[in-house]
Amino acid sequence: MSSNGKPKIAFFDFTSCEGCQLTVIDSLQDHPELLNVVEIVQFREAMTEKGEDYQIAFVEGSCSRASDEPRLKKIRQQAAIVVALGACAHLGGVNALKALHPLDEVRKYVYGDKADWYETYDARPISAVIDVDYAIPGCPIDRNEFISVVKALLLGKKPPIPDYPLCVECKLKGNVCLYTKGQVCLGPVTRAGCGAICPSFGASCEACRGFITNPNDNSMREVLIEAGLTVEDITSIYTMFTTYQVREKIQQKG
Amino acid sequence: MAPLYYSITTEEQNVSLTILSKSAFQEFVARLLPHYRVVGPVPHDIGYSFEEIQDVTELRMEYPTTILPPKKWFLPPKETLFKFTRKNGGVIQDPPETPPTVILGVHTCDLHAIQLLDTVFSSGQYDVHYMGRRKKTLIISIECLSPCDEHSFCKDMGTLTADEGYDLHLTDLGDSYAIDVGTQAGADLLQNYSSSSVATKEEIQKLNAVINAKWPKFSYRLDFDVSELSSIMELSMKSPLWEELGNRCLACASCTNVCPTCFCFDVKDEVELDLVTGQRVRNWDSCQLDDFATVAGGHNFRASRALRQRHRFMRKGKYILDAHKHLGCVGCGRCARACLVNITPVSTFNELYRQQETGSH
Ligand code: SF4
Ligand code: SF4
Ligand code: SF4
Ligand code: SF4
Ligand code: SF4
Repeated sequence: MSSNGKPKIAFFDFTSCEGCQLTVIDSLQDHPELLNVVEIVQFREAMTEKGEDYQIAFVEGSCSRASDEPRLKKIRQQAAIVVALGACAHLGGVNALKALHPLDEVRKYVYGDKADWYETYDARPISAVIDVDYAIPGCPIDRNEFISVVKALLLGKKPPIPDYPLCVECKLKGNVCLYTKGQVCLGPVTRAGCGAICPSFGASCEACRGFITNPNDNSMREVLIEAGLTVEDITSIYTMFTTYQVREKIQQKG
Repeated sequence: MAPLYYSITTEEQNVSLTILSKSAFQEFVARLLPHYRVVGPVPHDIGYSFEEIQDVTELRMEYPTTILPPKKWFLPPKETLFKFTRKNGGVIQDPPETPPTVILGVHTCDLHAIQLLDTVFSSGQYDVHYMGRRKKTLIISIECLSPCDEHSFCKDMGTLTADEGYDLHLTDLGDSYAIDVGTQAGADLLQNYSSSSVATKEEIQKLNAVINAKWPKFSYRLDFDVSELSSIMELSMKSPLWEELGNRCLACASCTNVCPTCFCFDVKDEVELDLVTGQRVRNWDSCQLDDFATVAGGHNFRASRALRQRHRFMRKGKYILDAHKHLGCVGCGRCARACLVNITPVSTFNELYRQQETGSH
């Protein structure tokens, strides 16, 4: 707690596009009253001060090199609550896609003849390195969900992140299902909470919010095959944001 | 049973039957607009949706069906029950009142569903929120003259026509509507805002011809009579079908979310950032979701998808009928359209019937 009694919060970024931090700034513009109840001590994207005394840490970005690990562990030591902010931190996100190719090839593709200058390993969610209390899913996060998570944390409650499929929000909006229009969608296995924004604008859900706890993967696969997707297509849609999770599942099955 | 035929002996016997030409109907709706919130079927993407209209040209009275049923105007997907302040011992503020509303173009399957919901929300714990909106709403329904699509089975369920539940009921006669007056409020509405005329003998004959022509266009899709449904369900608790449906089901809840007779909801408090004010909200919930039957302490008494599918169909085919004297399924086919793995009431009910006939469980 700071001397004014407000909990201190801090934002950190790892491998990411910073879109989630920008969404936080957006939501602060919509809800400036948030600053009446918390004190932000560190937020590189928005301020120059750097306080190291914080209770809640919001971490954006995946961990994509060994040298990120001590920094993450330091944050974990300091913060009472660590929240993964967005798909990169929550899932590994698009960064984890590189795991689908040999690391040497990826390094050459990205850094060319300077490949050896850069340290890198398979991108992973921060939960692969430190204990994470909560995650705000999405690529980018939903600004209203960010506010509702902060509210819940201040009230000492568990953040209200849904654990049901996206189809629920999509149907409640009265959308025509993308499958009816000959498109495909991962809504039935994806965690809701974004308000089904992609299907509402005619775009397939690619599970940027990660999977629900009990997805029916076999049935989802059948639906995608029925819709005309090849095995390669299915791998490609299933791994857009969730390569790390899909690989974990395959490893668990042995 | 609904009046399959209108008597043409004397005009006095048909005082409730009036005629409105299509252009007079347009004028009627236009005259309602300044006084009522008018809701009706409008195009939405490649489908249709019940929305508030500003102009009569938005209406599509000949729509096949909608994605969500008109239920959402009585039981919105999300509503604020009241707002509260945790100061001065607590202050509660009621939500704003619903404006007087006319819902146009309700099909008879949905009309039957609304009658069930009226029973549910007015018996036991009287629901002031649902009933508040319901009482302020007039329903102008319309007879379906051909099947909305291959998924409907309203004829089996006895919902292909209705003899009550509406204020006014329209039948399309081509260039006019025959209007059956269901309530005094409906009669007043016609009287005050339209220039309808009492049906002539010829118009009644035309109406009977239209109704006659309609029934053969609908086929029966259940392999048994609907009066047997409840007992078929009763004997199906141990059917192996539930496991099979559970393996296929995605637990996506699309089937219940589009259903005109589903009414499960969840109530939550949402607190504002000042941590003092907030609101109590009610959201649609679904028995198909993983944590629907999770109770305090974390136990889930319907953890498997198979048990949840069984519960859903038991409600549709038996429990609701037992409790409320209306069938829990009106045969609208919306769930069948919405389900990505083709779990449908028709195939489920027929398979349970077949299993019993062949003694296969
Ligand atoms: S989750 Fe998406 S928006 Fe957020 S930082 Fe990662 S890539 Fe950017
Ligand atoms: S569009 Fe996607 S999210 Fe929406 S109902 Fe269809 S599968 Fe579900
Ligand atoms: S169960 Fe299906 S067919 Fe029956 S009323 Fe509900 S949505 Fe319509
Ligand atoms: S199910 Fe029957 S009553 Fe309902 S809209 Fe379709 S045709 Fe009309
Ligand atoms: S729509 Fe189909 S897949 Fe989804 S919950 Fe209902 S039965 Fe299961």
